[in-house]
Amino acid sequence: MSANLLLGLSPILIVSLGALLLMMAEALSKLRNEARESPSSSLAMGSAVVLASGGVASLALWLQGPDNLMEARAALAPWLLIDRFSLFFFVILTLGAFLTVLLAGGYLPEHKLDRGEFYPLVLLSTAGAMALAAAGDLLTMFIGLEVMSLGVYAMVAFRRGSPRSVEAAMKYFLLGSFAAALLLYGGALLYGATGKTDFSSISFQLAHTGYANPTNLQQLAWENSTPLMVIGLILVVIGLAFKISAVPFHMWTPDAYEGAPTPATTFMAGAVKAGAFAMMIRVLMMAFGDVRSASWGSGWPPVLAALAVATMTVGNLIAGRQESVKRMLAYSSITHAGYMLVGVVAMAGTARAEANGAVLFYTLIYTISTVGAFGALILCGSRGAEAVSYEDLAGLGKRNPAVALALSLFIFSLAGIPPTAGFFAKLYLFKAAVSGDYIVLTVIALINTVIGAYYYLRVLVFMYFREPLPGAPIAKPMKSGHVAIALVFAALLVLALGILPSKTLQAALSSTISG
Amino acid sequence: MNATLGAMIDLWPAILAGAVGALVPRKPSTWQRAGIGVIAALLVLFVMKLWPDAAVAAAPSAPSGEWPHLLTFLIGLPLAGAILMLFMPRQSPGLLRAMTMGILLVDLVASLWLLTVPMGVGWHFVSVHDWIPALGIRWHVAVDGMSLWLVLLTTFITPIAAYVSFGSIGTRIKDLCFSLLLLQAAMLGVFLSLDMFLFYVFWELALVPMYVMIGVWGSADKIKAALKFFLYTMGGSVLLLAALLYLVHTYSKLTGTMSFDYLALNKVLLPKHVQMMCFWGFAIAFFVKVPLFPLHTWLPDAHVQAPTGGSIILAAILLKMGTYAYMRFGMGLFPFAAGLQSATLAGVAVFGGILYGALCSWKQDDLKRLVAYSSVAHLGYVMLGLFAGTQASMQGSLLQQINHGVSTGALFLLVGVIYDRRHTRTITEFGGLAKVMPVYTVVFVIITMASIGVPGTNGFVGEFMVIMGTYGSLRLGKFGGVDAVLAAAGVILAAIYMLSVVQRVFFGPLKNPKNRDLPDLNVRETLALAPLVIMVFVIGLFPSVLLSRSAAAVSAFEMRNRLVWMSAQELGEGEPKLVTQDMLLEGASGSAREGMANTLDEMDRGAPVIPPPPAADKPAADKKEASK
Repeated sequence: MSANLLLGLSPILIVSLGALLLMMAEALSKLRNEARESPSSSLAMGSAVVLASGGVASLALWLQGPDNLMEARAALAPWLLIDRFSLFFFVILTLGAFLTVLLAGGYLPEHKLDRGEFYPLVLLSTAGAMALAAAGDLLTMFIGLEVMSLGVYAMVAFRRGSPRSVEAAMKYFLLGSFAAALLLYGGALLYGATGKTDFSSISFQLAHTGYANPTNLQQLAWENSTPLMVIGLILVVIGLAFKISAVPFHMWTPDAYEGAPTPATTFMAGAVKAGAFAMMIRVLMMAFGDVRSASWGSGWPPVLAALAVATMTVGNLIAGRQESVKRMLAYSSITHAGYMLVGVVAMAGTARAEANGAVLFYTLIYTISTVGAFGALILCGSRGAEAVSYEDLAGLGKRNPAVALALSLFIFSLAGIPPTAGFFAKLYLFKAAVSGDYIVLTVIALINTVIGAYYYLRVLVFMYFREPLPGAPIAKPMKSGHVAIALVFAALLVLALGILPSKTLQAALSSTISG
Repeated sequence: MNATLGAMIDLWPAILAGAVGALVPRKPSTWQRAGIGVIAALLVLFVMKLWPDAAVAAAPSAPSGEWPHLLTFLIGLPLAGAILMLFMPRQSPGLLRAMTMGILLVDLVASLWLLTVPMGVGWHFVSVHDWIPALGIRWHVAVDGMSLWLVLLTTFITPIAAYVSFGSIGTRIKDLCFSLLLLQAAMLGVFLSLDMFLFYVFWELALVPMYVMIGVWGSADKIKAALKFFLYTMGGSVLLLAALLYLVHTYSKLTGTMSFDYLALNKVLLPKHVQMMCFWGFAIAFFVKVPLFPLHTWLPDAHVQAPTGGSIILAAILLKMGTYAYMRFGMGLFPFAAGLQSATLAGVAVFGGILYGALCSWKQDDLKRLVAYSSVAHLGYVMLGLFAGTQASMQGSLLQQINHGVSTGALFLLVGVIYDRRHTRTITEFGGLAKVMPVYTVVFVIITMASIGVPGTNGFVGEFMVIMGTYGSLRLGKFGGVDAVLAAAGVILAAIYMLSVVQRVFFGPLKNPKNRDLPDLNVRETLALAPLVIMVFVIGLFPSVLLSRSAAAVSAFEMRNRLVWMSAQELGEGEPKLVTQDMLLEGASGSAREGMANTLDEMDRGAPVIPPPPAADKPAADKKEASK
């Protein structure tokens, strides 16, 4: 195994080795007095360091350019593809997980859930998501997906005394396994149709079997395999749509998000969704990116466009009716998946590179903002007085202006109001969609943005304009250095990327899939 | 040694931030000081590294006597003040008030500099910097005869509104100061930016502080009103965004470069039906803000619920953002579509604005609601002037925008005065106030006259010019005369509803015992009202002070629109293309052509340069031409 190979794999290796090390450390630390010292404080910092170094390694590789890693790429292909696209997603994933563990470092001790397993689970899950983002083969994709999901199932059930949490985990686990089975079945059909499992070969088969000077036998083979291909593609898309919680495969999302401890929710809304999107883009663009499959008339774009419209609209309409902020954020994350799907559809159009950059940039910004929003929600509550409903937030602007300001910033970013990064990300995404001539889709997305503003603003209304009802239980903000650091970090990123997006945008634009 | 010194000079913002971070906080330990300092320095370093490399874009040579950073300063000062406000102590409201007033007054004085420059055709105080080069987004601010008076109106009204607010609002002063400063920056940004992206950012940014002002200090039903205000405007602006993105997309297809600049986008000539759709996307966004019937329903609610200071800014300046943006961008980018729709829209402005607004106003029993509906009527004149599109009507409309800012701002202030004393605005509660509040009555009557448009006051000149311009408008064709007559009838209605209010509130017997001991205007209110009353007469008696500075810009604007109209008519439903000067000046020749060419050049000062298409593409383009 050469040094070059190690270098190319370093982001995933750092995170997974770190997970193993921390697991050991956690097991051995059972000897010490837990009453005196919280296991979270050291583990949170430890895993934050691991994730940060994983992120830095990915960033360094990105800057150095994957072209200098030819040896590693040749050795890893087609199972794992280390290109700029995966490296960009590595950065997003490690960033999302980094913020998550910091939030957990404050949340778990406060809510007496202080067990060290959480951190290795986050790390392992992140490693799975990274493998998923880099996967170039149906098999590695499935392994990555399962590694990622298993960790998350456990995290959702982390509050094991609470029936709600267990129910959420059970629901998520059952539906998740079902989706994984669909994905696997789809993969099997694709293999049956093409005889290949890696994306580039599947794409090669699609492009070269078919109608370009076929012999009779080839023609026959192709026509026989077409239904298999189509069903396989449909099943794979459904499996992925489940993970990104696109409507109508979203039913598990609100329950799982609400039942899980908030850091786990954060991780699901941020990193897991980003990983699934990376996979979706890679499968559709690499395996089914040929002219016929990616055309509006005969391929997947109209299906995905319908999913996007349904996801945006349904997510938005239900989000507006929620009484719990956490549930509202869950539905809003569904809506954002819809916006990103618009970008994915646009990638099939004429402005592919631009759409690719737009989706990547949007994913980055969405991850930061949504993690920030959940983080601020964590900071709003304390043990026994968690901030859950809108009423809990009443008058927070007066009681604790700093927390309220942080929450408003992230809410503004999610709603897409300048000068936050969320606005710019939306603008660029919609611009890419217009460039691809998907104007109707863009208009629907824009209208949805306005509907979204309604429920995002309600949070501000309660924080700044309402006083708590006398006698009503109110959320008492907690004090935690970990959470504060994570929020300050995320807030700075949201502002900096909103005002000066140029370089990051260029990085996103050049992070294309290399086949 | 020299190298170190050089590096230090390069990094001065970071070092400065570090020093400020280390020294400013009170009472931390040395370590904490060092930590905060390092974090501040690193943060600034981070921002410096992120900043686009391309330094100042080739700034057009500014005429001497114009400080190129003046406009940036005008916008930046309140913005910086707002950010600084976040770090000021909440416990000393006196300091916060003084700081806000200071910043607003400095802004006012600085804006007077704009008057020293002769405003001819074209842009002044142009300032261009690259912001997001990947998308061709630039910091492009400039002022011309059309925006000059609106900028001055903003810097003039906001200190007054702030001063009034400080008198009547006693809670959450810090939030109030923050909102006022942010609002000032955003409004100036809207009037000054020529980059459409920048414009959009400021347009949306102006929503937030106003939303806070209505939502925090409003009366009983404030939350609903605030939300209504926000959602109406935002609903309009996403349509604007969609149309804008399409325009930018077309521009980048035509030239191969991206730009959000107004001066670049106004070169794009779209086929008729596409132009129509883009025009409506822009127009609806602006009509919501104006507000034009039937999109006006948020306005009465917002005004009734807003605190006095908020109402003044809302009526005097925020609504002008809609009229100004329609004039500059709606008409400037799509002169053909705007022209085709103008007869219909003028009808809407007359019936839905002037007449309907006046009739609604007549029937109100809440003073503030009455003034709000009278705003709808007055803005009907403004919009009618724009739709008519003649030189006289557009200048009148511009003047009427200023007039409305002055007189309606003053009316809201006056209603606020009486509300502070009685905590009611119901007209039937009052009567005979002239006996207890003589000074107040005099001022109210003067402002009423201005609002009706009695000769000698400012309202007369604007309305007269609008009606006169409408009468002869070619765009409105045979409807021009009808519109003019009906608009003139609107003046009579204005007299009816305003005078009947004066009659019911100030004259007659003093029946209600609660009104017996009302104090007259106090010092603060007098100070706030005095400049407005003075302005009523200054504009009313010497309108040419304003008109002379805007005449050239308006006539050049009108000329360009006419030329683009002809080109667009020629294009019909053809492929979109870029307007060139030769295309525009096709029909003209000789010295007239030269003069027009000069004017067009002046109007393009500061426009982004379109790089010549790459050599490889050229033959292909030629072939296309040939095949045509």
